[in-house]
Amino acid sequence: MRYPKPDSEPKASTTQLHGISVEPVAATDAALPKSRQRTIPVFRPPGAIAEETFLAGCTRCSDCIDACPHDAIRKAPDRLAAIAGTPVLEADTAACMMCDDFPCIAACKPGVLTQSIPAVMGTALVTEHLCLAHHSTTCTVCSERCPVQGAIRVMDGKPTICEDVCTGCGVCRYVCPAPENAILLMPAFSRPPLPDGHTA
Amino acid sequence: MDTQRRRFLKSAAMAAAGSMVAANTDLISLPVMGADDTLPDGDGLTWSKAPCRFCGTGCHVQVGVEDGRIVAVAGDKHADVNKGLLCVKGYHVGGILYGEDRLTKPLLRKDGELVEIEWDEAIDIIAKRINKAPDRFAFYGSGQWTIPEGYAAQKLMKGGLSNNHIDPNARLCMASAVTGFLATYGVDEPAGCYADLDACNVLITWGNNPAEMHPVLFSRVTDRRSRGEEVKIIDISTRRTRTSDAANEYLEMKPHGDVAISLGIMHLLIENDSYDKAFVKNHCNFRGDEADTPTLTGEAISEEEFRKRIAKYTPEHVEELSGVPAEKIRMLADLFGNRDHLITSLWCMGMNQHTMGTAINSLVHGVHLLSGHFGRPGDAPTSLTGQPSACGTVREVGTLAHALPGGRVVAKPEHRSQCEGFWNLPEGRINPVPGYHTVKMFDQFTKPTAEGGDIDTLFVQVTNPGQTLPNLNKLFNDKQGMEDKFLIVSDVYPTATTQLADLILPAALWVEKNGIFGNSERRTQQWFKLVDPPGEARDDTWMTIAIAHRLFELGHEGMKDKDGDFLFAVKDDEGNEIPIWEFEHYYDVNVDKHLFEEYRPFTTMKHKNLAPYDEYVKARGMRWPVVEQSDGSWRETKFRFSGFDDPFVAEGKEFDFYHSNTEDGKAQIWFHEYQSPPEMPDKDFPYWLCTGRVLEHWHTGTMTRRVTQLNRAMPTSYVEMNMEDARDQNIRQGETVILESRRGTTELPVWIDGRGRPPRGTVFVPFFDETKLINNCTLDAHDPFSKQPDYKKCSVRVRKINDATPSQVAKSD
Repeated sequence: MRYPKPDSEPKASTTQLHGISVEPVAATDAALPKSRQRTIPVFRPPGAIAEETFLAGCTRCSDCIDACPHDAIRKAPDRLAAIAGTPVLEADTAACMMCDDFPCIAACKPGVLTQSIPAVMGTALVTEHLCLAHHSTTCTVCSERCPVQGAIRVMDGKPTICEDVCTGCGVCRYVCPAPENAILLMPAFSRPPLPDGHTA
Repeated sequence: MDTQRRRFLKSAAMAAAGSMVAANTDLISLPVMGADDTLPDGDGLTWSKAPCRFCGTGCHVQVGVEDGRIVAVAGDKHADVNKGLLCVKGYHVGGILYGEDRLTKPLLRKDGELVEIEWDEAIDIIAKRINKAPDRFAFYGSGQWTIPEGYAAQKLMKGGLSNNHIDPNARLCMASAVTGFLATYGVDEPAGCYADLDACNVLITWGNNPAEMHPVLFSRVTDRRSRGEEVKIIDISTRRTRTSDAANEYLEMKPHGDVAISLGIMHLLIENDSYDKAFVKNHCNFRGDEADTPTLTGEAISEEEFRKRIAKYTPEHVEELSGVPAEKIRMLADLFGNRDHLITSLWCMGMNQHTMGTAINSLVHGVHLLSGHFGRPGDAPTSLTGQPSACGTVREVGTLAHALPGGRVVAKPEHRSQCEGFWNLPEGRINPVPGYHTVKMFDQFTKPTAEGGDIDTLFVQVTNPGQTLPNLNKLFNDKQGMEDKFLIVSDVYPTATTQLADLILPAALWVEKNGIFGNSERRTQQWFKLVDPPGEARDDTWMTIAIAHRLFELGHEGMKDKDGDFLFAVKDDEGNEIPIWEFEHYYDVNVDKHLFEEYRPFTTMKHKNLAPYDEYVKARGMRWPVVEQSDGSWRETKFRFSGFDDPFVAEGKEFDFYHSNTEDGKAQIWFHEYQSPPEMPDKDFPYWLCTGRVLEHWHTGTMTRRVTQLNRAMPTSYVEMNMEDARDQNIRQGETVILESRRGTTELPVWIDGRGRPPRGTVFVPFFDETKLINNCTLDAHDPFSKQPDYKKCSVRVRKINDATPSQVAKSD
């Protein structure tokens, strides 16, 4: 494994994923219908409604950030232009611990985080060729620490992720001790809007 | 860019792309190097071999260095031990050098504050304290000492200061394995090797959890299974572990049940007449404890007498003692009774940290000897070590209070005189009285001088007794406030031990220095210094030599040999002494090589012959005895005492235990009576407490807890509880509770049904976490022969934090 250089310790940054730049390209609306804005796929706190309505309703008040007991929610940095200041999760720095009572949702006054939709932020995948357990050496960390029952199944000591159950909280990615992180985490590309009868 | 690196980066790219291409085995995606001697370097990156810094398995890694810094680590494909595989710690071993709080300057405590001082002053302080009262000085070392480090410390103490108060932390770790081997074979260390794991069809883990503690070794067995080979794994343990998960049979025993189980197997082998009569007749004697003062040699008993004594250990009685059903004892006896099986037993701390440690070690050897499951590849009783050089340094160099290099002991006049000869010392220099073993050493150090505490200066190298000693309140914490006691600690990071240190010395770590380790399978492994230590951190061997030289300057007679030369004199080709005690000249010569070559002649007495240093430079370690062949090459030995492989077994002999205690070439089958544990749960302290390790952290975590990935994977210690016990006490998952014994307390979060599952009435706590010191609670009772304390059983209670019940536990005094 190649260690990070001292001046490039993993920081709260999404510019790189496994050494590959994922710096977002500035969005352009040119190719899109006028009615739909392009959104950047990011991890929102649990219970975040569809991105467009979320962005429209979120007041950037930081209440969810303050409410998170695990300091897992942070403000999107300025370089993310359109979404700067909105709450995001970065599992490499701190993962959502899937609290039973979701204090972040309770704190959200505009209601863009809501209990009414499933708390699904994305999904995780075990990259098997990087996973220690899939390579004959004992490792049980992701399944032990996964806060969602049934999301990681272990067969013969090897973990696989049950996508129907996984919420994309990122705990597995955060704790994975493989030389190259063996958990690939993908944000939900579309989230449900507020159910009927609810208003943001 | 070389192909290896390209492959490397490619794997990273695949990860980023989320590629699931794993089927193509040519694409080795975990970092594995095809580590030829001519490994292609490139881009300023150079690769070199080194054994892993952590456990006694002794995996080899390839270390990638760029601009004086380790930038990559990979498993070494050409290493026989690990064949390219590493455990989770091993992949991160390079990271241990780069914690933010490395010690980089000597620190002296002045008026309670640590202040930076120069090395010259530090060495001077130590030398003057020793010079003032050489017999009140003690040296506490480690199974992480390299062979030259241990050898230099040994020579300073026993050869220079005529002081035998030198002991290693390995006393806490494998001393009972040593006494078990000595009592059985008359010579220490396993006869077999890891190749047994590739050959056995039955693997028995005795209170051992290799799936977590020696994962690379365990995978040698589980890999065979996944290839379709049949290997039956039987786990005998006091709690379910990851090893139990992989086992065909899990036999849950009560603490000390292992003693009863091994007696029960032997009873049945005799009862069923299924023991190996020819093997026993030709190669074994029976042995029992002397009635008055038991010793390691014991006294001869007849086979009749052995049968008589073991008769009461019927399966039913064993079930009563051990909790393992009688039918399972019969199953084990049937396995051992069948010579078609190839049975390997593995054990480590479970059998060693045991007040009957010597007994249970001897008994398990006895089971193998009585059944004849010995000496064929796959048929082996094998003890594992937890430290990288517990064997190489502690057991072979003999850095123990009673020992001298090469299997010698201070009590024997001829051994002392041999060492005086090797070291060119005047006759009578070596003190014949054994020094203090670990528990006694710290007891004497933390006891006030007025009350007979006769150790007042203690030098600790490469270990962390402030976290690992049992019963810390008694054996370590009492040092606080004692003005006349002086604790010197050489380490790489601040630790629980440096907290009470009066002088802290910054040490070089792993590939920041040259080194040689000896692993669990008698494999001696060498590496070179690859990067510079940070700041003013320096080699432990250098510290020892610098102290010795300062003593020499102060006129200490012991620092001179018979001819008046300095004890550690190294001369160049012209006969001029190289001032290796000055750090700037330390690497003018390879001091490791010099010390190793000086040490080599010691090893032949016990037939643990080593090859010249340069041979180890070429190899990924070699297992002793290593003997020179007629063509000038050096041959290692896989199976000791077996005629087909061991060069010291005479031609035509099938087996020869050539260091037999009975001097007849035979091994000893011991009988030991079952005894109850020294402290058992009762009304006030109703739980058994067992302590141990976790996969992600090594020992006290001082290295691994500074590696982000490992610390994230296992951020805190915990107490494993049985679900029903937790329910009875209304304790929730994750709740912090207070664990109390008669000796101390600690607070821990509860983990129910976690990595291990203890039975009702048992709790388990790992000891890696310096913020949650479980050794406040453990017991300092120890085995009478090995002096190894029992960390695996004592009684505790678990109290909810808000419980109004006041603690009745007073600090023991």
